[in-house]
Amino acid sequence: MELKLSGVTREFQDIVAVDHVSCTLTNGVYGLLGVNGAGKTTLMRMLCTLLKPSAGSITWNGEDIFTMDNRYRKLLGYLPQDFGFYPDFSVYDYLLYIASIKGLRPAVAKQRTDILLKQVGLQKERNKKMKKLSGGMKRRAGIAQAMLNNPKILILDEPTAGLDPNERIRFRNLISELSEERMVLLSTHIVSDIEYIANEILLMKDGRITMSGTAEELISSMLEKVWSCDIQKNKIDSYMKAYKVSNVKTVQGGAKLRILSAKQPTENAILETASLEDVFLYYFGEKVDADDVQI
Amino acid sequence: MMFRYEMKKVFAKAGTKIAVIVLLAILGVTCGFAMDVSYVNENGEAENGYAAVRQLREKQKEWSGILDEEKLQKVIEENQRISATPQAKSKDYKENNIAFSWRQGISEIRELLNASFMDEFRSYDYYKADTLMASDASAFYENRTVLLKEWLSNEAKHQFSDVEKQYLVQKYEALKIPLLYDYIGGWTQLFEYVSTVIIITTLVLGYLVAGIFSSEFGWKSDAIFFTTVHGRNKAVVAKIKAGISIVTMIYWPVILLYSGIVLLYLGADGAVCPVQADMVGWKCFYNIQVWQKYLLTVVGGYIGCLFISFLTMLVSAKTKSAVVAVMLPFILIFIPSFLGNIESPVINKVLGLLPDRLLQISTALGYFDLYKVGGKVIGAIPILLVLYSVLTILHVPIIYQEYQHKQIN
Repeated sequence: MELKLSGVTREFQDIVAVDHVSCTLTNGVYGLLGVNGAGKTTLMRMLCTLLKPSAGSITWNGEDIFTMDNRYRKLLGYLPQDFGFYPDFSVYDYLLYIASIKGLRPAVAKQRTDILLKQVGLQKERNKKMKKLSGGMKRRAGIAQAMLNNPKILILDEPTAGLDPNERIRFRNLISELSEERMVLLSTHIVSDIEYIANEILLMKDGRITMSGTAEELISSMLEKVWSCDIQKNKIDSYMKAYKVSNVKTVQGGAKLRILSAKQPTENAILETASLEDVFLYYFGEKVDADDVQI
Repeated sequence: MMFRYEMKKVFAKAGTKIAVIVLLAILGVTCGFAMDVSYVNENGEAENGYAAVRQLREKQKEWSGILDEEKLQKVIEENQRISATPQAKSKDYKENNIAFSWRQGISEIRELLNASFMDEFRSYDYYKADTLMASDASAFYENRTVLLKEWLSNEAKHQFSDVEKQYLVQKYEALKIPLLYDYIGGWTQLFEYVSTVIIITTLVLGYLVAGIFSSEFGWKSDAIFFTTVHGRNKAVVAKIKAGISIVTMIYWPVILLYSGIVLLYLGADGAVCPVQADMVGWKCFYNIQVWQKYLLTVVGGYIGCLFISFLTMLVSAKTKSAVVAVMLPFILIFIPSFLGNIESPVINKVLGLLPDRLLQISTALGYFDLYKVGGKVIGAIPILLVLYSVLTILHVPIIYQEYQHKQIN
């Protein structure tokens, strides 16, 4: 089982959304990490055959996925970022309908729907209309539809976006549970989503995969170290300009900064263990989402 | 399963339910208009309702049969007799109404006499029949062709080619005479409003099917739909099937319900009469019977409705917008009505073949729209039926292809 991307490029008029991406994905959970607009969704849409690459190729076990057409889509489960559904369908009807267009026979569809409703914790809501579900419930229905055909390739685009912390943890665990014996590609701009469940992380910036590896490999690839230091309040701005600051915590009389730097930024600075959030800052030059820090 | 859910997507919407209720309400009102027939009793008072229908039918039935010279003479004589009565001559409208009540039995044949003995092909004089003598009856059928020929060589001189003129005259001469006459009040009233029913049904259906393809984009469910095994093939077929089914399941019950109610109430007599045995169809060059006119009207309406619905679905699949698509039936139906005011032979030729004509065949049968196909002159109706049947069928692979190759940015 091998999904291979070779020089995959996608242009929209004069914008290059995905720029010569090459990588090989096998079984396991892959985290596609990047800031908003990095090209994650475009890349995933190409992997789902929703968009054709302007250049390059995507193959599954050596065969072009667009040539495979239905045979490839049979292996695919996809949860898009903007998860759309049929508002007047009940959860049960929604899943049965998706099962039917996924080519499941009615008896199998019912069986799979029952199993998945139980697995995603929506059994009680099975007769509820989709439009009446909460955001978290909708996402769970979304993952259930993606899993209906027991896909070999599961592609989840920002599955935790907009979820509250509890729902996000629950969702992460669910993905982890479902990831056995398949290839899961999970895109997010939230570091903690993939920190716990991804076997390999792909960092994407400006349409390119800039770095890939395990969390440990990515952390050790940083040329800068992580420091924490206490500084006076009036010096915060100058430190922010001089260094990459991954966190600012206000304390009495000043602030505690988490700084990425090759050299010790202050005399009292203490060397810290680097995290994936620091990697994010190191490679993207941007801080992770504030809401992610809570988890 | 896919088909069932496609239907559910359409009928679960609140807008669909409202549209169907509105359609049924309009159908009820239209039936009411169609069934509103009045009869004037011997006291000169107007009566309505089912009793009035029965009375009028009975009166006109007395004159049913072959409309030969002898019968026409009798009608002229009867008309003369009534016209000579003090009630007819009176200046009191109540007295006039009494005279009118005696005329109701022959009123339809009297109208035919008016049409036949007009001074010009396109003129009309309500009192023309009152000027006729029994001896004039022999010219009744001949007049029809004579007036046509006069019109073709004068007023419509440049409107038709010589071959077309010849075709019209041939058609007029081919009419089997004498005509069979019967009470056709039920059919007349049915045809009066059938186009309205068909047009409103088409507009409602256009609204219903407009969302079949575009809703996937509106609901943002397209990304999942197109990544499934059948999303680009069988599921598209299910959508097309749903479109056909919705049109069929709504069009036919509405039309048959309307026809059934009107004909049950007013009577279906006269179905085998030629359409020319009625004032409305007197000039018609299609030599068909009333039941054939009905069949052409409802089948033509169905083809037109299917065509417009399919075009709406294609536009909705292409533009991903139901709003744009839902406007299409309005444009196709109402724009030709405005263009119809322009006096141009070229524009008229084009208008004669637009799909809105299919929705109003009962009226279009009276138009002199002629076309040359393979060296032969032919009326617009058969061309419309074949042309739009083919175009409707052609829509299926086009819609399929459009949706099959859709890319989602």
